[in-house]
Amino acid sequence: MRYLVEVGDLKLGRDGDELVTYALGSCLGLVVHDPVAKVGGLLHAMLPLSSINPEKAKSNPFMFVDTGVPELFLRLYEMGGQKGRMLVKAAGCANPMGKDQMFKIGERNYVVLKKLLWKNGVLLKAEDIGGSLSRTLHFNVASGQIVISSNGEKRAL
Amino acid sequence: MATIAEDIIKKVESFPAMSSAAAKVLSLLDDPDFNPVQVENALRQDPSLTANILRLSNSAYFGLSSKVGSIKQALVLLGWKRLSQLVLTSCVTALMNREVPGYDLPPGDLWRHSVAVSVAAEGLVVELKLRAGDEIFTAALLHDLGKLVLGAFVKEQLVEIEKAAAGGLAFEEAEMLILGTDHAEIGARILERWSLPKSIVRAVRWHSDPDKSTDTDVMVDTVHVANVLCSMMGIGIGREGLRHKPSTSATKRLGVSVPVLERVASRALQWANELAQLS
Repeated sequence: MRYLVEVGDLKLGRDGDELVTYALGSCLGLVVHDPVAKVGGLLHAMLPLSSINPEKAKSNPFMFVDTGVPELFLRLYEMGGQKGRMLVKAAGCANPMGKDQMFKIGERNYVVLKKLLWKNGVLLKAEDIGGSLSRTLHFNVASGQIVISSNGEKRAL
Repeated sequence: MATIAEDIIKKVESFPAMSSAAAKVLSLLDDPDFNPVQVENALRQDPSLTANILRLSNSAYFGLSSKVGSIKQALVLLGWKRLSQLVLTSCVTALMNREVPGYDLPPGDLWRHSVAVSVAAEGLVVELKLRAGDEIFTAALLHDLGKLVLGAFVKEQLVEIEKAAAGGLAFEEAEMLILGTDHAEIGARILERWSLPKSIVRAVRWHSDPDKSTDTDVMVDTVHVANVLCSMMGIGIGREGLRHKPSTSATKRLGVSVPVLERVASRALQWANELAQLS
């Protein structure tokens, strides 16, 4: 099955599934994959910290990096995934041009992700982040293959 | 031989006019002593427009507790200002729901982006207690209208535009350099032809570069910030991506802060999706 991951959304898949998310701007696209259990998930989180809108975080934890990422791991454990086997890859976190820090939500998303992973002793296996272009991400759960397309250019992650 | 800019202007001139029912309703609503019956009669000529307006009126975004079943009721419950925004929204939906070549926007993306910018702009007004005119919803909704004309030209000159942008220009600056105009200018021209208020035309004209507007204007600044924010959220960003240059002076003038920006973003997404689906 092919599952579409919207903005502020999480989808999980098993062998044979494909998870896709379009138009990653400042948002974080995070793939977590257990190649042995053949389970994986794709999170499309919009903002770094849930403290900005706790009510929203309760109804939709996937909108924020600090609530969405733990949820992604927990759900994969429930599906038989094991922490020691998980491969974690990040995409997105783009920023507008110029130096105005206010608009660097992409950068802040990335920093919060790195802190979270570091605290939990998890390493990023690969990343395709930053810049100012939009990205689309295709994740094949069986093979673990991830393809990023950005303005007509395709590359593996 | 005609220049590209001249070809573009020709296309602006042949761009569709507003539907006659919508134009009639808007001019009726513009008169402080308007007669609700006349508004209803004008809308009766366009049942699909009426249906669209009623659907939108019932969106949770507008916060009505009872269901609206008629234009008269919508007028009473929402007020004439909101109603005229909804008339305009309804009449540009079909136009803006299209695929936009050049900008790589699939069908529906320009519309979703436009609605999101309206919601985010109104969100900024509320958060920052700004004194912006009620027309801000409409100005934000129409800010990218020019892309409908410019898209075909962007597509033709894409290699050149991308080359220019690779040198560090914002996408709209690259449009200006290669095409001699940009989508903000073209959008403003269309809206002038539609006889929309000057404040709306100005906000559309300067939404990419508010510091160039001769008068600083809350509406221009707010649409500018809301536009960058919605692109960051990935709503209808297409080929441009985040190749915009947010104005630090505009954010200072408005008093925007990181928490305000992020709070507005966290609220806007859901409303934008709902409104875009209803219309």
